[in-house]
Amino acid sequence: MLGNQASVRLYLLPLLQAIWPGFLPGQYRARLMSASWQTPDMVLLRFNVSSRWPGFVPGQHLLLTLTHNGRNLSRPFSICSPLSLWQATGQIELCCKVSQSGSFTPLLASLKSNSVVNISAAQGDFSWQQPAMPALFIAAGSGITPIASMLLSQRHWLAPATLYYRVRGTENAALLQRLQQLAAQQPLFTLHLSDSRFEHSDVFTRQIGTAANNKQLYLCGPSAFMQQLSTALVQAGVAKGDIFQEQFGPALPVLAGGDNSGQHQVALQHAAGNKVFTASANLSLLQSAEQQGVNPRFGCRIGVCFQCVCDKVSGQVRDIRSGALSGHGSEQIQLCISQPVTDLVLKQ
Amino acid sequence: MALSNEQYNALASELDDIKQQVQAQLGEADARYIRRVLLLQRISAISGRILLVLGFITPWLWGLGVLLLALGKILDNMEIGHNVLHGQYDWMNDPLLHSRRYEWDIACESGSWQRTHNVEHHSYTNIIGKDRDFGYGLLRLSNDFRWRLRNLWQGGTYLLLSMLFQWGVSYHELAGQRVFFGKKKNDRQTQVSDTELKKAFFVKGARQLIKDYLFFPLIAGPMWLWVLCGNLLANLIRNLWTSTVIFCGHFTKEVYAFKAADCENESRGHWYYRQMLGSSNFTGPTWLHILTGHLSCQIEHHLFPDIPARHYPKMAKQVQAIAAKYGIPYNTGSFLRQYSTVFWRIMRYSLPGGKSAVKAL
Repeated sequence: MLGNQASVRLYLLPLLQAIWPGFLPGQYRARLMSASWQTPDMVLLRFNVSSRWPGFVPGQHLLLTLTHNGRNLSRPFSICSPLSLWQATGQIELCCKVSQSGSFTPLLASLKSNSVVNISAAQGDFSWQQPAMPALFIAAGSGITPIASMLLSQRHWLAPATLYYRVRGTENAALLQRLQQLAAQQPLFTLHLSDSRFEHSDVFTRQIGTAANNKQLYLCGPSAFMQQLSTALVQAGVAKGDIFQEQFGPALPVLAGGDNSGQHQVALQHAAGNKVFTASANLSLLQSAEQQGVNPRFGCRIGVCFQCVCDKVSGQVRDIRSGALSGHGSEQIQLCISQPVTDLVLKQ
Repeated sequence: MALSNEQYNALASELDDIKQQVQAQLGEADARYIRRVLLLQRISAISGRILLVLGFITPWLWGLGVLLLALGKILDNMEIGHNVLHGQYDWMNDPLLHSRRYEWDIACESGSWQRTHNVEHHSYTNIIGKDRDFGYGLLRLSNDFRWRLRNLWQGGTYLLLSMLFQWGVSYHELAGQRVFFGKKKNDRQTQVSDTELKKAFFVKGARQLIKDYLFFPLIAGPMWLWVLCGNLLANLIRNLWTSTVIFCGHFTKEVYAFKAADCENESRGHWYYRQMLGSSNFTGPTWLHILTGHLSCQIEHHLFPDIPARHYPKMAKQVQAIAAKYGIPYNTGSFLRQYSTVFWRIMRYSLPGGKSAVKAL
């Protein structure tokens, strides 16, 4: 109250940042120790995290914030290292797929040793629920990261677990060595590598379908892969409650049903209650919202007054004025000048 | 109509180009700049408050404290608060410098100010009957308003408004919505209920009063009166300064006003044109620009309200050249010259008659 900001820490932020450049409230500092390429496009980053960081449950992810050209940019990444590494050394590892056309991951790959980034507390509820029950893990591409952490963290093996790891060529299988090592040491763990260049997806799905009986299923991979697989598994008689999955990577613009008619689901989290509406790709988000009786705060409707600014939690939008596409991560957008490109989660 | 439709479109695209050029450059330098201003603001506000208490050593320290606290408040309100609340730094995605989160050291709640200032004033700049900032419903500034007896002493009203400027700003939305007095207008649209308006007004106002006139004097112990007077004086200096700067932005001699009917369904070029005619600049050294929050470049601010203000002086040269090309008046001059015309306007229209400020479009 004394400094007119929400907290004293926020009021003192300019002073704190003068002492620790890049300090962000509510975030934790992480220093890059080493970086190595796991595959041609996946880099393994090892961070020494602040001792204040509250820790994680294997399978959880965190938001990593970089400051680039004056902007704070954040993206979610799953932790891929075992719990024991953090307990013993205070370090964690992230395995990130670098997309050369992206605006974030190339920056991540070019981070120098000893640079400091900000990370959030670990979040998400994707974790190994009942280690005493037989489990089937299915990972595709970079979806291996949370699953690797779950498997490598397990100390007392109680029931058999199988991992189906689907990749495009073994040279693209990140963290493979560690998993092979685990398979060699732990008789209850079996590793199946499926190369999508040789094994057709129908064959793969059928394989999973037979193996899935009476097991808990953990899925992580690109959205389309997961959607297709979980639909097939439910059809094959697997109970929905036994499938645990983590949405990974950017949401795909093409949704279930394969239509691309330009309709997107928008979930608006609002202080007055959460709302969901369908947004048309050729209208502003504000117009779509209002047409369906959702009334976000608005002002000038031409992008001048910033009354309708929302926090975008996930999804991509296009700036109507410039045609520029946003990132997929969290950032602020103005509803009156933004059109949806994918499904969105917003907060106002 | 002063320009043809083609000219309006050409004007819009030239001004859009200037905007895009600057937008493309936004980055590290802007972030560093605003953080430096923030740091200076915090240092001056905090050291000012400490020096007020140290006045027992020598009153000179108290005097310095008043000036530093006033500087802190001015920087907070102008270069930081005003500009951040316009969304100029939203692109930084910063936890503090964001238009939805920033709250400033002034009686007016930031949300209320965004509605009256960003929406009403910036969209309908100087449209008679729509932009209540033209005279704030208190002063008669052209012959477009009927003369009333109370205008006779509007010189005094102006002085009072300037001294209590933060309260005027804070009450502005409640006055417009006729929350306490007057008959409700049928055509006014509102997104915020009267109850919420009252709550924001009283809560924010009370916080400011408690902070400056209760909490800080109390913790100063025996120096309480010095601190209380120091805070009062710092607020007064800030009020006079902000009011003076803002009056120079829209009420100078050659500023124009508009009729609502002329602005319906206007094009972007027409909107730009109106912003240029309805605003005025004044010149001065860099430190003066910073103390005004770059509202010394009111014309550029009205054309590009969401561009970080430190770019305005540079853009002003380009805008002035464009104005000359299209034959649009560009109203600028020294601070003193501009202010004297403001004062003249207030005095002149305290008497009946005079000229209309409306520009036929």
